[in-house]
Amino acid sequence: MSTVAAAPAPGDALLQASGVSIRFGGLKALTDFNLTVRQGDLLGLIGPNGAGKSTAFNVLTGVYQPTEGEVRVAGQRVNGWVPHQINHLGLARTFQNIRLFRALTALDNVKVACRAQGGLHPVRLGPMAKAATAMRNYRDWWRALLLTPGFQAEERELTRQAEHLLEVMGLSHRRDEEAKNLPYGEQRRLEIARALGTRPKVLLLDEPAAGMNTREKADLMVLIRRLRDEFSLGVLVIEHDMKLVMGICERITVLDHGETIARGAPAEVRSDRKVIEAYLGDSYLESHGGAA
Amino acid sequence: MSQLLQHLINGLAAGTIYALVALGYTMVYGVLKLINFAHGDVMMVGVYMGYATAFALGRQAQRSLWGVVVIFAVAMVGCALLGFLIERFAYRPLREKPRLTALITAIGISFALSYGFQLDIGFLPGASPRAFPEVITPSEWFIIGDRDVVIWNWQVISFLIAVGLMAALQFLVYRTRFGKAMRAVSYDHRTAALMGIPTDRIIALTFMLSSALAAGAGLLYAIKDTSVSPLMGLYVGLKAFVAAVIGGIGNVPGAVVGALLLGLVEEFVVGYAASTWRDAVAFAFLILVLLVKPGGLFGRVAAEKV
Amino acid sequence: MAAPGVTTLTDVDAGRVPPALRGILPVLIALPVLALAEVLLGASPFATYLLSVVGVNIILAVSLNIVNGMTGQFSIGHAGFMAVGAYIAGVTSLSLKEVALSFLPVAASDQVLFTVALLAGGTCAALCGFLVGLPSLRLRGDYLAIVTLGFGEIIRVVVQNTEAFGRALGLSGIPQYSSVAMVYFWVFLVVLVARRIAGSSHGRSLWAIREDEVAAEAMGVDTTGYKVRAFVISSFFAGIAGGLFAHFVPIINPGSFTFVKSMEIVVMVVLGGLGSTTGAIVAAIFLTLLPEGLRSLFGALGAEGSLAQKVDQIRMPVYGLLLVVLMLARPQGLFGTKELWDVLPRWLPRKKKGLT
Repeated sequence: MSTVAAAPAPGDALLQASGVSIRFGGLKALTDFNLTVRQGDLLGLIGPNGAGKSTAFNVLTGVYQPTEGEVRVAGQRVNGWVPHQINHLGLARTFQNIRLFRALTALDNVKVACRAQGGLHPVRLGPMAKAATAMRNYRDWWRALLLTPGFQAEERELTRQAEHLLEVMGLSHRRDEEAKNLPYGEQRRLEIARALGTRPKVLLLDEPAAGMNTREKADLMVLIRRLRDEFSLGVLVIEHDMKLVMGICERITVLDHGETIARGAPAEVRSDRKVIEAYLGDSYLESHGGAA
Repeated sequence: MSQLLQHLINGLAAGTIYALVALGYTMVYGVLKLINFAHGDVMMVGVYMGYATAFALGRQAQRSLWGVVVIFAVAMVGCALLGFLIERFAYRPLREKPRLTALITAIGISFALSYGFQLDIGFLPGASPRAFPEVITPSEWFIIGDRDVVIWNWQVISFLIAVGLMAALQFLVYRTRFGKAMRAVSYDHRTAALMGIPTDRIIALTFMLSSALAAGAGLLYAIKDTSVSPLMGLYVGLKAFVAAVIGGIGNVPGAVVGALLLGLVEEFVVGYAASTWRDAVAFAFLILVLLVKPGGLFGRVAAEKV
Repeated sequence: MAAPGVTTLTDVDAGRVPPALRGILPVLIALPVLALAEVLLGASPFATYLLSVVGVNIILAVSLNIVNGMTGQFSIGHAGFMAVGAYIAGVTSLSLKEVALSFLPVAASDQVLFTVALLAGGTCAALCGFLVGLPSLRLRGDYLAIVTLGFGEIIRVVVQNTEAFGRALGLSGIPQYSSVAMVYFWVFLVVLVARRIAGSSHGRSLWAIREDEVAAEAMGVDTTGYKVRAFVISSFFAGIAGGLFAHFVPIINPGSFTFVKSMEIVVMVVLGGLGSTTGAIVAAIFLTLLPEGLRSLFGALGAEGSLAQKVDQIRMPVYGLLLVVLMLARPQGLFGTKELWDVLPRWLPRKKKGLT
């Protein structure tokens, strides 16, 4: 993609939020939020209910616009960009309440994501480049309508990629089943497969273990690590389950009432007074168990 | 100058009527996030109820003060009932379904009413417009210069009625328990239900309220136009809806401002350009506003909760 | 259900056709069939008229289904785009009436001019679709409904105020170039386009928008762009339908393209099943022939003329009630997002799932 500058070196920040605040009317949902994700990172974002974790995700992915501060993806400032443009820079996400394309098959869910890439859409370029992209876009529709051999080959390639991702996520046997008919755990995995289809550099997982049993959670921990290595990703996880977060994340950011109250390695965070207070204050017993 | 003043007066008079209808759209949208397409047609049915009542009363009685009160009361109560029935049997079963289903239903009801009333079978009135009786005998109340600027009595009366109804609505929404419950439902009807608010009843009442307002507005419109036809609901309703969107749908003061603006813009186009373009103006104005300020003048584009 | 529309009509025997031919094959099959139909039907004016009306309605329903069905938006002003196509094509043909391409036989020259007029109409309609769609498709779905409705009104008012369009009286004397073959060639084209979109990655993006716009956007789908493109394609074919219509009816006036016409098309699409191309076709045929049939029936029974007229009157409120009943009882319509061959009985040959 011409829009992305040279491939970032391993140490470069792939996703960087600096001093991000967001206000809804009078309510400060997020205050002075800072975060850096590099390739190979596995970070956690935790906090009690309503602490602003999902809001943070939404700001990073362009669903909400920051009131202050800036977000950079692959070195590019993305304030004011819409989600699909940010996605094209290499940021993909899953959703807390699963949002699959329910009537589409598992395969097609992933194919949608695979397809949307490939530099088809203008990402804030000059007028000439925009015009060129628009031309390419229309040519592409014609190729689909005329079913040119090149187009058919492309479709086969997409199918192959999507099948590969299903296999990685252990969903091959569900290939032709509608997403809404999959069991809950598999829907969560399909969402990850779909996110991977966009060929991300950073993967944001919003409560990936919600509703899973202990066994599934353990598998998930292994899987997330494997994905990070296999796809050379930076991963940011929002999670309620302290055991999972403490188990896999190398650094953790703790939010409460939109403010960052602690940051550091799991062991440091666990013993942080403010963190314990925030959780106990909300009588969050499960986490208390995790922190003790 | 005096011409400008006259247009201003006419535009405001028309705008207040649109405002009453627009409030209905905005209130229903507020609680259900549904564009109640049938709203204008409910209004039309109300006008026919008023029309029938006026005839039942006879020429003498319909012009007396109590006659007018009876006409309005019958139409408004009748419409409230119709609104209740529509909500109960068409919208409520679809409340948890995709929004599109409810929208299609609303369009279907609108169509059934506006074209059903065009049949001349049984009690239905048939397609041709009918003269609405002059329940308020027109007279010129204020005349400036040599008939340069004229204010008619019905303009003043309808303005007062409209403002009165709006004030009552404002009181109801912001000063009563019902209003508080309504605002809670509009904010989040599931949570409101969990808090013990009888969501179903509040939504039904909102429908009845908005339908009654529409009936009142429709009567004022019919008095102004001195005619009633099955298609009036479609046109007045659409324009009122446009007004609500221009003001920012879901926003109560926005609906009023949008309606007044629309009334003025229409009046000026008719006055200074050509009356044949009148019906296109509202929509051109709408597209313009959406281009410049997508959420309407007072509304915000609500980000969907993710 | 298979993924909604993962294959194109011609993929039934995809395995045996070389890739280079697959794009053009349906056209090669369709042309002789259409020519044959023209020869067989040319004689009966009534059959020609009825078939043409059915064909135009199929084009309208299938094209509207691209927006309302596949993309999950809701346009209720399709007749407005039809009007644009009808008037632009009509005026083009009227002004080219005296022109004949000397290097061609007269009949062929007429058809070339006809095609030019149709494309002019379709292109203008597509342009209008772009202008109307861009602001409203950036917003939430229900704005599109109201703006398209308003657009239809604007068109009506513009036509009524324009001398060249014959004002309220309408446009008459448009050369009657249309033929069953021409109408059904476009029917064939719109169906082909709809099915190929449905089966391609573009179609999958549209389905994704229909299913969950937020997720589609997060997965890199340019939702606004796709919606606008679907809308433009849909308006183009509505314009073509209007152009065809203008060339087989004696007169077009603003009354032919009212809200009622838009609703008729909406009812077809909803009845057939939002998202089902074959559903739209079946519903279009059924809803066009039903009133015609009833009218002829009443006529044949010798009922006084008013009863036959009543059919037309009653049609409208019945459409409205039909929508309400459908939404309450069977919101997915006849076929849902499936196609005809997905709902056929088991013993009939079925297509395999998935593309290639």
